[in-house]
Amino acid sequence: MNKTYHYDKENEWILARAYVPFQIMNQVFSPNEALKNGTLFPELYRPYELKPNKGYGGAYYG
Amino acid sequence: MDREQKRLLKEIMEISFVLVETSLYLDTHPNDQRALSLHNTYSQKYSELISQYENRYGLITNTGISGYPWNYINDPWPWEINFDIS
Amino acid sequence: MWIYEKKLQYPVRVDTTNPTLAAMIIEQFGGPDGELSAGIRYLTQRWTMPTNQAKAILTDIGTEELAHWEIIGTLVWRLVKDATVDQIKGTPFEAHFVNHGKSPFPHNAAGEAWTAGYIQSKGDPIADLHEDMAAEEKARATYEWLIRVSDDPGVIDTLRFLRQREIVHFQRFGETLRIVQEELDRKKYY
Repeated sequence: MNKTYHYDKENEWILARAYVPFQIMNQVFSPNEALKNGTLFPELYRPYELKPNKGYGGAYYG
Repeated sequence: MDREQKRLLKEIMEISFVLVETSLYLDTHPNDQRALSLHNTYSQKYSELISQYENRYGLITNTGISGYPWNYINDPWPWEINFDIS
Repeated sequence: MWIYEKKLQYPVRVDTTNPTLAAMIIEQFGGPDGELSAGIRYLTQRWTMPTNQAKAILTDIGTEELAHWEIIGTLVWRLVKDATVDQIKGTPFEAHFVNHGKSPFPHNAAGEAWTAGYIQSKGDPIADLHEDMAAEEKARATYEWLIRVSDDPGVIDTLRFLRQREIVHFQRFGETLRIVQEELDRKKYY
């Protein structure tokens, strides 16, 4: 998985703030794969799986 | 558009896309040397491909050098190209 | 300033003529969570960002969104360019057609014109970056609904690409928020 980016080492989470972890570039797709997939980075690749529609939510909840 | 032109244009689109991804990554990780090196390698490749394409098929940007008559206006324009599954 | 490259960002393929689908796709051409909103929003917010890094990200993602706007316009155009009037009549695209012919026009799927009311630039970098992260999620969700209603394989393929871009953009805005937040803490801006 990703090494820890220096910003994430702080461990000082402050209330009433939002935190997105930093990506650290690791492997990359080939240019052909990258364009097809929509990203150069395997760790950011989140294909949309079509599950039966429950009427709410998107990719993450079904 | 003939097969070879479409193939070269597709390759340009692929390298161009890699550069978009490396640029965005470097915008938030300006000190990542591996990413910078990857970007610069692909940037070099991109310039070469653009040169090749423009010499053979006409301008991609209107700042390039054109043969006669001015070929930047030539068809097909981007929305007129249908890319087959390849 | 802007340079135009005479190519689409993605190799778009449209397999059918489908005015109804075009009327839905247009949601991302002129709707609240579409590419025009995204592009104008990010490019508008640039001026009041406190770090070079944030100015770069808003510039670059804003520019990419305009390239996506071009792709959506192309999808709409290709879905209707060969349609006869009979194919258009009785579809949601007919209302668009009587106003604009086959020309893609920035309004949403319900026909409401694009407005700057769809975007915000608060001049407060923290508020603006949260707005941007929300915008990316709304765009992603919209693409998922559109993928569900689409039945043209080429169109679906392009929608999947555009949806994936939103996920990457969210990550970048999230990182930008961290950097800006740290910078503001350091300068004790508040």
